[in-house]
Amino acid sequence: MFVSKNKALMGFLALLLVLTTLAGCSKSGNGNENADQAGGGSTGEITVITQRTDIVDSVFKEYAAEFNKEHPDIKVNFQALADYEGQITVRMNSDDYGDVLLIPTSIPLVDTPEFFEPLGDLAELKKQYIGLDERAIDGKAYGIPVAVNFSGVLYNKKVFADAGVTTAPKTPAEFIAALKAIKAKGDAIPLYTNYADGWPLTQWESVLTTVAGSVDYVNVDQPNTDDNFVPGKPHYELYKVLYDAAKEGLIEPDPTTTNWEASKADLANGKIGAMVVGSWAIGQVQALAPNKEDIAYMPFPTNASEVIMPLAGDYNIGINKYSKNKEAARAWIDWFLNKSDYATVQAGGMSPVVGAPLPETLKAFEGTAVKFEMQSPAKEGQEGLVDKIDKDAEIGLWQPEFKKRIIEAGIGNLKESYDDIMRDLNEAWVKSRAKLTK
Amino acid sequence: MYRIKYAAANFIKYASLLLGTFAALVPIIVVFFASFKTNKEYGTSSPLTPPDNWLNLANYSKAFTNGKMLLGFGNTVIILVISIIGATLIGSMIAYVLNRFKFRGSKFLMGAFLLATLIPSVTTQVATFRIINSLHLVDTRFAPILLYLGTDIIAVYIFMQFLDSISESLDESAMLDGASYFTIYWKIILPLLAPAIVTVIIVKGVNIYNDFYTPFLYMPSEDLQVLSTALFKFKGPYGSQWEVICAGIMITIVPILIVFLALQKYIYNGFAQGSVK
Amino acid sequence: MVFKNLSYKTQRKIIIFAFSLIPVVLLFTFAYLPVFNMFKYSFTDWNGYSKHYDFVGFENYKTIFTDSKYFSVFKVSLYYFAATFIQMGLALYFATILSFNVRFKNFFKGVLFFPYLLNGVAIGFIFLFFFRPDGTLDTIMQALGLGAYTQGWLLNPNIINISLAGASLWRYMGFNFIIFLGAISSIGRDVYEAAEIDGANRWHQFRHIILPSIKNIVQLNLILAISGAISAFDIPYIMTGGSNGSNTFVIQTVTTAFKYNKLGLASAMAVVLLFIVIIVTLLQRLLIKEEK
Repeated sequence: MFVSKNKALMGFLALLLVLTTLAGCSKSGNGNENADQAGGGSTGEITVITQRTDIVDSVFKEYAAEFNKEHPDIKVNFQALADYEGQITVRMNSDDYGDVLLIPTSIPLVDTPEFFEPLGDLAELKKQYIGLDERAIDGKAYGIPVAVNFSGVLYNKKVFADAGVTTAPKTPAEFIAALKAIKAKGDAIPLYTNYADGWPLTQWESVLTTVAGSVDYVNVDQPNTDDNFVPGKPHYELYKVLYDAAKEGLIEPDPTTTNWEASKADLANGKIGAMVVGSWAIGQVQALAPNKEDIAYMPFPTNASEVIMPLAGDYNIGINKYSKNKEAARAWIDWFLNKSDYATVQAGGMSPVVGAPLPETLKAFEGTAVKFEMQSPAKEGQEGLVDKIDKDAEIGLWQPEFKKRIIEAGIGNLKESYDDIMRDLNEAWVKSRAKLTK
Repeated sequence: MYRIKYAAANFIKYASLLLGTFAALVPIIVVFFASFKTNKEYGTSSPLTPPDNWLNLANYSKAFTNGKMLLGFGNTVIILVISIIGATLIGSMIAYVLNRFKFRGSKFLMGAFLLATLIPSVTTQVATFRIINSLHLVDTRFAPILLYLGTDIIAVYIFMQFLDSISESLDESAMLDGASYFTIYWKIILPLLAPAIVTVIIVKGVNIYNDFYTPFLYMPSEDLQVLSTALFKFKGPYGSQWEVICAGIMITIVPILIVFLALQKYIYNGFAQGSVK
Repeated sequence: MVFKNLSYKTQRKIIIFAFSLIPVVLLFTFAYLPVFNMFKYSFTDWNGYSKHYDFVGFENYKTIFTDSKYFSVFKVSLYYFAATFIQMGLALYFATILSFNVRFKNFFKGVLFFPYLLNGVAIGFIFLFFFRPDGTLDTIMQALGLGAYTQGWLLNPNIINISLAGASLWRYMGFNFIIFLGAISSIGRDVYEAAEIDGANRWHQFRHIILPSIKNIVQLNLILAISGAISAFDIPYIMTGGSNGSNTFVIQTVTTAFKYNKLGLASAMAVVLLFIVIIVTLLQRLLIKEEK
């Protein structure tokens, strides 16, 4: 029995070898053709991978046509992945993950050089683009944000006004009171969580800086504290708002059947009061609203003395380290960031290019005390540490899971209290932090 | 007395059948209704209300063209046909060998094929992906085809079951006429397996037609989309237009409904003869 | 021509080799090699994409068996497990009555089988539509005067798994039904006739003729359905993503692998799952054998 098993295995291994070599041959044949084509500078064929399944066939095709006016010899192909993070990380097991792609947020900073081509010296490139710190290591930049967003609360002014709230609430207490007033009025769902889709819940994490009132909290202070989720600390205060809203019945009645696309229309039509979502959504909701002026944006309510609206990069665009057409890929990135309207029109944020004009949505805050600032980068040697602790502890700061847990507890589906959840998260945090910083 | 009992039994029989029919059809019928409704009508009417205008095909044309359903259909058919022919040949070959010859390791092989049905394939996907990738097959139609041939071995099982019922005396009399083993397989066994082949076409066909995960992961390119991935894409852009999603659902249902109606008789017979014994 | 002239003994060797080669290579490359690799990864701290990883021994297995959060999700499987039996019962019932004289037989057969033909993505959509507030189910209940009993079918944590297991039952019942139907129809007519002369009623016929003759096929279906229940994945994944207490072990595995990038740990979970499925199957086989 054992012998026959081994025989079978050997035979099979031999065959596999043959198959692999065969496949390898045909592949290398293709490779040579490509190499010939790529002989003369920025020519050849590149594949650009995006998460925008909605506009890959329309807007991106137009971009390619525009791009080809300047670079007629580069053929650009697009692939859109519906579950971008999940699919791209599996594909990154191979060398074949397109030429230009968005750096998945789940790839830790330290591992970035393993997969991506450096785009230039950080100091040099900083003169040209903002928001590079997120994907910079050892003085090299590996990614440039496709847009720069700011984070806060998107709300329907008219719904708030109808409920008697005419000025944007500033503190968590005022915010909850305003939501209660909307509920009392009865025409709209005060705060929509988009629980079922999950990912909109991760938008809450991006307003942490506002709650902390300091640009240092996220990357500088956080990795050096054992009190990340205890009362009085930003995380505790931030998600307390979510919990209280759920507990008081201020969120959608059946969170399990929500739908993101529908929620945009409902917010636009005054059936929803507010959603915590990045600035990129402003344009999308305004486009659906009967009266564009009703849709407004405010900083997340905070007790901090300074109101900071955090600026953060959208996905970072980068070049596959194994790309056979790096020059052409670079040409596309340069064109895409500098000449296309992706950042402002499609991503609803600001252009990452230094000196680009401010978008309309930002102008509303001119003359107010609200500050727009980038988060400070981590201290040297601590790049990506928050992310590492987060993954190891399975907390999921940028995943929907614990936010869902908070909502489930708030509406009474779980027996645990808010403090139980926070204690749990903090314990996991402390344990993993100790493990990773020793 | 007997008559009353008989009538009651009859009543229960038909009542339960009607209930079953109702339960099986209602979820689909509401989708069918919704696919003809306008966005406004959809929002205001009850799901059980038939549409105002049965000829409102706007959702269908939207779903069909924007969703590139024809492309998806083409890819699905290519993959389906190759996989089924492959599975039939491969499955019947190995089943023939395992059923007719006892050799060293045949028990082991049989066990290996049966055990493989129990592996939950979602959990091995990263390992599988690396293998497909090392063969440079990612983003080609060969990736799903090979996976359908290699991992879903229900065909082997069905053929083995059925071969038990084909008497070996047939083989023997053919051997007396000097037929080679290959001739026996090709001229005698394979034709006799016809009912089991129909079963395999249905079971495998349904699995492949409906599989979402494999094409989703292995064929990200847009021009390689199949029906199920095309439908899944509706979730994003049409999330607030359920009537368009419903039309998309109906578009994926119609081809299989036609095939089903056309093959109905063979399906039942195939299962009757191919599944047991 | 040449082949034909070889002795049967040589032919035998050639045909065994030639006919097994491709199937075996496919089977081992795409079914067993991944399992083997997964086994290897389960002893590492691999994150799923890096080029290097370290071996950590049994660390991952220790985590699974010491942290209750990994195992508690198995209780969700119980819902699917229970649904499996209802599914088998219904399939047997319908297969039996449709084996005898019934009007519109083919219509009923077709309708009951049809849900099995549908696409998982379509089913996910159909049942979201079915369970949402003021969706199909609520509307039907209101029409029947049961409006007071409507529920948040996916909202209520005590009901969500019943709803999802129900959807899964709806999807797979037709498959068992058609197999049973086929099995029953292969029983010779004469057996029933003989029984009827002996005065056996329908129940007796079912109990003493039908059930014994299709026992094997029922067992096979049960094994498949139970390992399916343990590894329930697609319906809850498409409909709820495993939230609100509908998390299953496989969803948990996928989450661990792709959201927390702990592929080593996720592989260990998959190995544990595979062992559980194999053990359950073997147990079932043993129990059945003893019964005989």
